[in-house]
Amino acid sequence: MSTKESRERIELLQGTLDLLILKTLLAGAAHGHAIAKAIEQSSDDVLQVEQGSLYPALHRLIKRGLIDFDHGTSENNRRAKYYRLTPRGRKQLAVETSKWDTLARAIARVLRPA
Amino acid sequence: MKRHALDDLDADIRDHIERETADNIDRGMTPDDARAAALRAFGSIALTKENARAVWIPVWFDQLIQDARYGLRMIRRAPAFSAVVMLTLALGIGLTTAVFGVVNAVLVRPLSYPNAERLVWIATSEEGSNEELVLSPDLIAWRDQAQSLDRIAGFSIGGERIDVGEEVVQARIAAWTDGFWDIAGARPELGTVPWPGEEGIVLSHAFFERWFRGDPGVVGRAVPLNGRPTTVTGVMPRGFRVQLPPPPAWSGVQSGEVDIYRQSIVQAPGPPGQATAIQLFEVIGRLKLGVSIARAREELDTIRANTAKAFGPQSQRRRLKIVPFTDKIVGGARRSLLVLLAAVALVLVIACVNVANLLMARGSTRQREVAIRTAIGAGRGRMLRQLLVESLMLAAIGGAAGVLAARFTLAGLVRVLPEAVPRLVETTIDARVLVFATVISVLTAVVCGLAPAFAMRRVSVHDVLKDGARAASASSGSLRARKALVAAQLALSVVLLVGAGLLMRSFWRITENPAGFAPERVLTMRMQFSGPRYRDNANRAAYLDELLQRARNAPGVQAAGVSSNADGRMLLDIEGSPDVPRELRPRALVSVVSDGYAEAIGMRIVKGRWIRDDEPLPVYVMNEAAARKYFAGQDPVGKRFRLPWVDNQSFATVVGVVADLRYSNLDARSEPELFTDYRHARPFGLTITMRVAGEPDKAAPAIRARLAGVDRTQPIFDVKPLDVVLADSIAPRRFNLLLLGAFAGSALVLALVGIYGVIAYSVVQRTHEIGIRMALGADRRKVVRMIVWQAITIAAAGIGAGVAAAFALMRTIASLLYDVAPTDPLTFAAVVGALAVTTLAASSAPAIRAALVDPIIALRCE
Repeated sequence: MSTKESRERIELLQGTLDLLILKTLLAGAAHGHAIAKAIEQSSDDVLQVEQGSLYPALHRLIKRGLIDFDHGTSENNRRAKYYRLTPRGRKQLAVETSKWDTLARAIARVLRPA
Repeated sequence: MKRHALDDLDADIRDHIERETADNIDRGMTPDDARAAALRAFGSIALTKENARAVWIPVWFDQLIQDARYGLRMIRRAPAFSAVVMLTLALGIGLTTAVFGVVNAVLVRPLSYPNAERLVWIATSEEGSNEELVLSPDLIAWRDQAQSLDRIAGFSIGGERIDVGEEVVQARIAAWTDGFWDIAGARPELGTVPWPGEEGIVLSHAFFERWFRGDPGVVGRAVPLNGRPTTVTGVMPRGFRVQLPPPPAWSGVQSGEVDIYRQSIVQAPGPPGQATAIQLFEVIGRLKLGVSIARAREELDTIRANTAKAFGPQSQRRRLKIVPFTDKIVGGARRSLLVLLAAVALVLVIACVNVANLLMARGSTRQREVAIRTAIGAGRGRMLRQLLVESLMLAAIGGAAGVLAARFTLAGLVRVLPEAVPRLVETTIDARVLVFATVISVLTAVVCGLAPAFAMRRVSVHDVLKDGARAASASSGSLRARKALVAAQLALSVVLLVGAGLLMRSFWRITENPAGFAPERVLTMRMQFSGPRYRDNANRAAYLDELLQRARNAPGVQAAGVSSNADGRMLLDIEGSPDVPRELRPRALVSVVSDGYAEAIGMRIVKGRWIRDDEPLPVYVMNEAAARKYFAGQDPVGKRFRLPWVDNQSFATVVGVVADLRYSNLDARSEPELFTDYRHARPFGLTITMRVAGEPDKAAPAIRARLAGVDRTQPIFDVKPLDVVLADSIAPRRFNLLLLGAFAGSALVLALVGIYGVIAYSVVQRTHEIGIRMALGADRRKVVRMIVWQAITIAAAGIGAGVAAAFALMRTIASLLYDVAPTDPLTFAAVVGALAVTTLAASSAPAIRAALVDPIIALRCE
């Protein structure tokens, strides 16, 4: 990664990747590559996910029971794992989102008072 | 079935990258650029996989599996190397486990009596005598009065004859007073124990099966024991074994399993002043909870003092001895077992050094591999763990093989020398032995595994990768360490070899036979008078006359005689000698013998003559030890003396002197001994000794049948060639020698391998240097000398240190030696010589290989 890129793009904070994955899956089941793309695109390419790090995060979420996976067949007839939100994941997303909002507001107040 | 998230992880990643590549192509990249960009965007595939796995599987476990798999690959890749390492470890761990197995059975595991820790051995003995017995009045007084004891029982072990129907069998009998069954904590499996005060016997299970074919009907039946019908009241359970001290040498009783437990009744002493039959017992007592041995000693002594007053001087002179029963049983075996344990620990250390050495040698050939692994990110800890896992795997396999080997070794030892060490037959590989084997395997693995890690600690990744194979020369420090290890190994081998050498010399000293003794051609059998008929001495003499007649006329028998084998030390009363206090009176062993005995056993007559069949009056023959001690400077032939204790006999004349001969117990010192003829004495039991023309074993059955025919009620037993009797008498020494010899042999082989390994390796390392030397004009002889010289310097340091250590350490085994000084120069010289030869032999092959180096090839190799 060049220095130019790193100025324009923000690396993910620890743990936020999990939140982004949950948010992405709220729209429906998706395979790994699609999730990575969705995160990059919906943040206007500001958030740069090192795509490889997606997988350990997915496994972490499966282990915590927040997402689950099925084997499905994609557009061009390729077998792939499709990840989807579990009911617990949905609840967790709501909790995490409101936490995030609170945190973001608090930081904004500190950085730009009045 | 639902599959795990980790399944297909590879496929998921591949799929991901293909999709990304396809997207990139859509954006207009060339296929190659597209794939490269996709890979870049993905990041490290290996790291991704590792992190994903780490979610599910603890990292350490995952890495352990990796290490193990890698270790297995390393073992398979170098099968010869791995086999040598595992064999070495199996040898070291196996021998150590075997010795610990014996130590565990003999010294560690408690006796099988209930409350065994409270059992004590109680005895009294006269000053200067080693006969440890208790007289019946003392036993009764202690039984009735002692507060410090909770139980007390007397016993005596001996052979008695029992009529089992088709045959009269000589059985090993333990005669017990009634406290025994409580102390043993055992009850018969069939029937009961005899009522207190009632005569009766309980059979061992083995005897019951062998002679009564396991017929329960025998319980309650009266069976002739020594000719007197005695009721069999019960049969002990299978596997019941009473643990007793080995019978004292003077008793003439051999150790072995008890066949029959007989109830023995202690006769109460008559009123003071009146003659009472005194019975002699060995005694076990059980202390009350919390009572110390010292307190018990004090009380028993006080009680005994009172009895002695009533009973007379014979008891007063005796000294009380009370020791833990375990100590009495284990006796002198403790020291030799601890020496063997120390010796086997040395073998284990030598084996460890060898393995460490081998691993270090391989470590230097693996430097490149280690450097590469370090370069791609393996930390020092990870590398260390890898090496440890590898050596743990080697040690696990070696240890398992060792435990298996130990099991067979122990079984063999118990079969060959069951009586060499008390409780040896109880040896098994139990949980404690297994734990021990595991612990030493792990320790070995850690020590051996760390050695190469230590040697590699200073390896610079940069240098190794830059210089390639040449980098091995950077480890000259490791070679120095390896030379030091080999020197240490040699030093330890010296200690073991000197120890084994000294035992071997003792063994030779003991088994050295005087000319003409030839025990391998002498056949011995034993008999013991029993039954009312033989209370009469005339009947005994008549029996022996007939027995000797038959023995002498048996085919193949060249000479025959009987002897009672020195059954006790007796006071002598030499005619004309001044009256001296009892303690200073001369004593000698007394044997009852017959004509023909000296000839049959090969005893040399030094002066005068041997005893004849038709002596009208009692006469004596003495050995040289007695002549030296009691008639120094005089001719003993013609002197007269008597044995005041036997009966009030008159003085009898010495008619001859024979050379000292150890004919029954090989490691006993020659002591004064007298011989007298059977007609003028009352022998209880005799050994019939015959010199035969052929193999004693072949002649034995016919001769035995012939002799048994004299009187069918008197069994003839213990039929053995004299050389076997003699070998049995030094079974503990044979045991020590066998083990220590095996250890020393192993040490020698390991040292040979160690020295060969280091020298061969140094030759490989110095091939380039040797090539240069030869190119510059060094001749081949010089090269050989250079390599051998290197071996000699290592050996000199090692052997020198070993000799110094052995010199200091051998004092501790002085008590195991016989007639050999612990600093015996011959043994030391032989060991040094043997190791010097070994060193030269081990270094000659690599030296010759060095001499055959072709300088052109050696130099081009770079």
